[in-house]
Amino acid sequence: MTAATTTYVRRGAGHWLAGLKAMLRWHLTSLRLVLPVMVAVQLLTASGLSIGMSLFYADVDARTGLFLGTGAAIVTLVLVGLVVAPQLVAGEKEAGTYDFTASLPVPRSASVVGWVAVSAIISLPAAVIALAISGWRFDLTFDVSWAVAPAVGLVVVCGTLIGYAVAHGIERPTVTQLLSQVFAFLVIGFTPITYPPENLPGWLASVHEVLPFYHMGVILRGALTQGLVTDVSGSYLVVAAWTVLAGVVTAIAMGRRR
Amino acid sequence: MNDWTFRASGVTKTYDGGKTYANRDISLRVEPGEVFGLLGPNGAGKSTLVKQIIGLLKPTAGSLHLGPHDLVADPDAARQLCSYLPQAPMPIESFKVHEAIRLTGEIRGGDRRQIERRAGELIEALQIEEWRDTLGARLSGGVRRLVGFVMVTVVPGRLVILDEPTNDVDPLRRRLLWDQIRQLGEMGVGVILVTHNVLEAEKSVDRLAVISDGRVVAEGTPSSLKVADRGRLRLQLMLTPGVATPELPSLVLDHTRVGNNLVSVIPEEKAGEGIAWAQQLMSQGIAEEYALAATTLEDAYIRLTGELPADEPEGAAA
Ligand SMILES: Nc1ncnc2c1ncn2[C@@H]1O[C@H](COP(=O)(O)OP(=O)(O)OP(=O)(O)O)[C@@H](O)[C@H]1O
Ligand SMILES: [Mg+2]
Repeated sequence: MTAATTTYVRRGAGHWLAGLKAMLRWHLTSLRLVLPVMVAVQLLTASGLSIGMSLFYADVDARTGLFLGTGAAIVTLVLVGLVVAPQLVAGEKEAGTYDFTASLPVPRSASVVGWVAVSAIISLPAAVIALAISGWRFDLTFDVSWAVAPAVGLVVVCGTLIGYAVAHGIERPTVTQLLSQVFAFLVIGFTPITYPPENLPGWLASVHEVLPFYHMGVILRGALTQGLVTDVSGSYLVVAAWTVLAGVVTAIAMGRRR
Repeated sequence: MNDWTFRASGVTKTYDGGKTYANRDISLRVEPGEVFGLLGPNGAGKSTLVKQIIGLLKPTAGSLHLGPHDLVADPDAARQLCSYLPQAPMPIESFKVHEAIRLTGEIRGGDRRQIERRAGELIEALQIEEWRDTLGARLSGGVRRLVGFVMVTVVPGRLVILDEPTNDVDPLRRRLLWDQIRQLGEMGVGVILVTHNVLEAEKSVDRLAVISDGRVVAEGTPSSLKVADRGRLRLQLMLTPGVATPELPSLVLDHTRVGNNLVSVIPEEKAGEGIAWAQQLMSQGIAEEYALAATTLEDAYIRLTGELPADEPEGAAA
């Protein structure tokens, strides 16, 4: 029988890119049975949230309409990375299949970047549809600037890395699953994304000054609208800092051998 | 040309701040082309060792080398140069069999044409053609195990690590699988194989180590481990449930009791006396059945670990 065996250790950019491509296919194929459902759930949630808000706030001024109309899309973009990766990794740990995935000979960072792309694939269509529905319901015109690319990119990367840091940094899958539920609860209910920070008690509003979630909303609104939010660059800084932090934790957690 | 010998030296893993040892001071060598068996009872520390090699666990002490590479210091090299079939199920629910094989082959750095060719050869050799397009979620446990084997060996590393590859596989395909494991050796790849099937290992491994309580208690070729049993027979008694171990006549050289199984070793020339003793125990209602057989590697295993191997039938037939 014929076979080429591995005889040298591949390193460098070519190996990294091949690893990214392979892991993207690996992740997408692994999710094949659930991916359509995930995308559909996101679509339904995001459009449901948009329609719901438009029914609840039937008569609003243009500014409020713009604020509400961007809310659902932002929640979707923030939440998918935070929730999906922890759930799936926790599931792998529970099923005992985590060891095989972790033993695949690809650079860890390529696998992570593959995941970020998967998060984007799940959340972007839903976010776009949510925006379209809100635009129609609230009769809005968005003012999309070039900043939408870095804003969406940073939000997806930051959310996914935080999710990944939690998924790999926490040994017990049940704790991971619980935390991802807490994330969902926190982002949907107690983060000033679908309402302004003034509506929160003062202490909670100040907590959101340091957490990334509110600022993710600010940079996305900054890119989608004109004059709705201020100090966008400050928010970029906070989200970027969290991205770096989550990236470092992820790198340590994935590099760590038990 | 590299010398791809695998060397483990003093490998130790402790948990709970050094209080529990998962394995302890393990030193082994596996030459290229050698099929090396790791045997030992549940919890002996076999999976711990292979996870240390592939870099999923970090040894508390000791070193692991493959050829010129330090596997502990360079886990990237470990993952690329070693192929690993875990004891746990493979995550291939939503992969078609041929997709899972091709994609792992590519991840292992193989070239597409060679992957296709060898995948086809392995699928045929293991007689799993009919599941080539089946989704992993619909495979039986044994076929899934075989697919896992093909995935990790379609582009084999210099060291192939198989943690209980024959689990759940039917007897016919187990033989085919052992043939393919031998083939890996013939390709010059070192193979470390964890198994509970002592009799199959006896036929198919070049050398083996028996691990018990985290330590290597014996190492060598199957025949060297059996030397102590030369000229001996195994007399196995199925005792009546609840009875105490009967008094042993002087012809019994060695014995182990596991549950109601009393495995004793007697000299070949005293076979007649042994049978007479066994028949006497049966007539007294102390034993229900007995069997007299040539010693195998299992007897060395029983002596070394104090346990019956997993493939040992519960009640040995008379
Ligand atoms: N995280 C852990 N903390 C404490 N002890 C552990 C941990 N993981 C494994 N062990 C212990 O290490 C020992 C060796 O386990 P290992 O999985 O290597 O056994 P094994 O020889 O592969 O057994 P089996 O044949 O059942 O697969 C066991 O006693 C196990 O309880
Ligand atoms: Mg094991």
